[in-house]
Order: sequence, then C-alpha cells, then structure tokens
Amino acid sequence: MTKQVPNPNEPRWLTNLKTAMPLNISYVPIGIACGILLHAAGFNTLLTALVSLMVFSGGAQFLIASMLTINSPLLSIVIMMFFLELRYALLGSSISKYLQGKSFWFTVLFAVSLNDETYAVNYLKLSTDKKFTAQDALQIEHYALIVWTISTIIGSLVGSSLSINLTVVHFALTALFIYMIVMQMKSLLKVLIILLTIVLAIAFMLLMKSTLGLVVSTLLASFIGFFVESWIRSHYEKYKKNRLLRLFKNPAGTPEDKFDEEEETE
Amino acid sequence: MEWNSTQHFWLIILCFVVAFIPRFVPLAFFRTRKIPKWFNEWMGYIPIALFTSLVVKDLCITSSYTLSVSGKAPELVAALIVFIIAYWTRSMALSVILGLAAVLVLAVFI
Repeated sequence: MTKQVPNPNEPRWLTNLKTAMPLNISYVPIGIACGILLHAAGFNTLLTALVSLMVFSGGAQFLIASMLTINSPLLSIVIMMFFLELRYALLGSSISKYLQGKSFWFTVLFAVSLNDETYAVNYLKLSTDKKFTAQDALQIEHYALIVWTISTIIGSLVGSSLSINLTVVHFALTALFIYMIVMQMKSLLKVLIILLTIVLAIAFMLLMKSTLGLVVSTLLASFIGFFVESWIRSHYEKYKKNRLLRLFKNPAGTPEDKFDEEEETE
Repeated sequence: MEWNSTQHFWLIILCFVVAFIPRFVPLAFFRTRKIPKWFNEWMGYIPIALFTSLVVKDLCITSSYTLSVSGKAPELVAALIVFIIAYWTRSMALSVILGLAAVLVLAVFI
C-alpha cells in the first residue's frame, strides 16, 4: 500500500479498487445485516441475490424487508419504493455533467448501480480528480455492487443461525451518511443548511407521514442554500472571502483525495 | 398473507422499475444537453440536504412517522462519535467501523 506515492504504472482497476475499498469494507456488515433481514422477511438466497443486483440500494432493501415483515400489500411497497428512490433523480442530475457524451447503454449501467454511497464516492472523485473518468466511476459502482451482493448472500445464508440486534447494525448506514455530511461541510453556509435541513426534515416527515417528506426537505433546503449563495455572489465582489462562503481548512488533511484543490486555488 | 417466491420475484421486478426510472431519466436527459450553470450550483447543495434528511430520519423519526428519540440514546451518542471521527480522520472505513463498534458497546450499557 503505497498511497502517498501513487505509482503511475498501477493499472486503473487496482487504483479504482483502492478507491472503492473503504466503501466495500463498510458494505460488508450492512450487506450481511440486510441479508439477514431479507431472510427473516421470507426471501430465499437466490431472490436475495437478485434484489441486491437489481435494486442496489441499502435503504430500499431494508424497506422491502421491513414492509414484508409487517405484511404490507405489494402495491404499497412499490409506491413507497418509488418515493424512497425518487431522490436518485436529484443525485442523477447532480452527477450527470460527468456523463456527457456517454452511450445509452453506459448510462443504463451507470443508473442501475447508482446509489447514495457510490454517488458520494464517485462525486467526490469526479469533482476533485481530473484523471478519474466516468468509466472509473462505473467500475467503482461495480466493485461496490459485487461486495454488496456477496454480503447479502452471506447474510441470507447465516440468517437462520445468527441472532444479532438488527437496529444496531442498521446504524452502519447512518454512520456512512454522517461521514458524507462531514465531507460536504465546506463552508459556514453549508453548516447552516444542515441545521435548516434538520428542522425541515422533521417538519415534513411528520406532516407527510412518508419518505416523501425527505424529498421535500431536500429540495427546499438545497434551494435555499443555492439562493443564499447566488445572492451573496451577486451582492459581494469579494464573495470568496465572505464569512458564509469561505472554505474551511481541512483539519486532518487528505493525502489520497486532494479535496477542493480546484476551489482553494484562487 | 404468506408470500411465495413467485410473488417475491414480481415484487423485485416492480421495485427495479420504480428504482430505475428516477435514476435513469435525469442521467439520460442531461447526457446530451448542456447543463445550465445555476442548475449545477443548485445541485451542489443536494448531497448535504439529502444526507442530513436521511440521518434525521434514522435517528429521530419512528416507523409510524412520529418524532421520538426514546431508546435511541446509543445511536445518538454514536452519531456524535462518528461525526468527530469523520471530521478528524476523513476516513469512511474508520467512521463506519468505529461507529458500529460504538453503538454495539453503548447498546449494552445504556
């Protein structure tokens, strides 16, 4: 592991595997937990593998498992799924600029294995590493997909013999999201938007009684963030020095990923 | 009602369709068009708002969509720990693994 001195002759697949490794590692416990849940909900191992490959999203699979255990009707599961997955329209839009000019089938493949986690890793790499292409991003997605599917299969197989606290294991996903929030905390305005989102998310989820509240709070908070930023940009000449938009210094540094390199060189 | 494997299979197919459409349509739409600058700037705020909403849902919204943190003390403390670890180490693997360890240990003691 010579991460500090990148070897120029290192094959792309190996470099990408290294990039995907932290995600792959965190997918193992979550995937196993998900496999156990699906097993408890009545899925056999083959169907578990199929759902992992076709609906590659931890949240979606947890939703299927939990709705099946409370005997929800098929239609209501599918509708809930649609609202849960609606947020990917936003992620897809935000990552789409890196896919310009790609073929139809590339886009199909990319869309199938796009999820919160692969999006977070790929968006970070695509926006900070010039050598990182959409092809590399797809490879990262596939590594994650393979690890995830194998983990859910393992979970499905051990499901009957193991009893672990599933709510606790579900926290792995929450931890992943918290990590992504921290990685996005680049300015005071972003921190304020986080606080605003907390209020909006609670309000709209209580009001709408569904994950659609998530979509509304996300849309609203991101709109407000965008409007405030544009307002500052148009009203202050030195907006990069503005207290709200000034970029934070990175406390631990990032030897591998070179965060914000473009933005910080003014 | 007990589901059989055929019903599970159709459930997966239907879920695939509703999961695929919102992922594919924006990608396909913007693949061949010029994306306006304001749109990209707006999209820059999507990840932070989305992930915050998801964490809020995990930590303090119950499955019947009421606000409650009862019984969530281990998760809440562990969330704080993950936050600090993520901030200082910037390592995804460390954040997740130590976060899981924290919540497992805290669940025993709280």
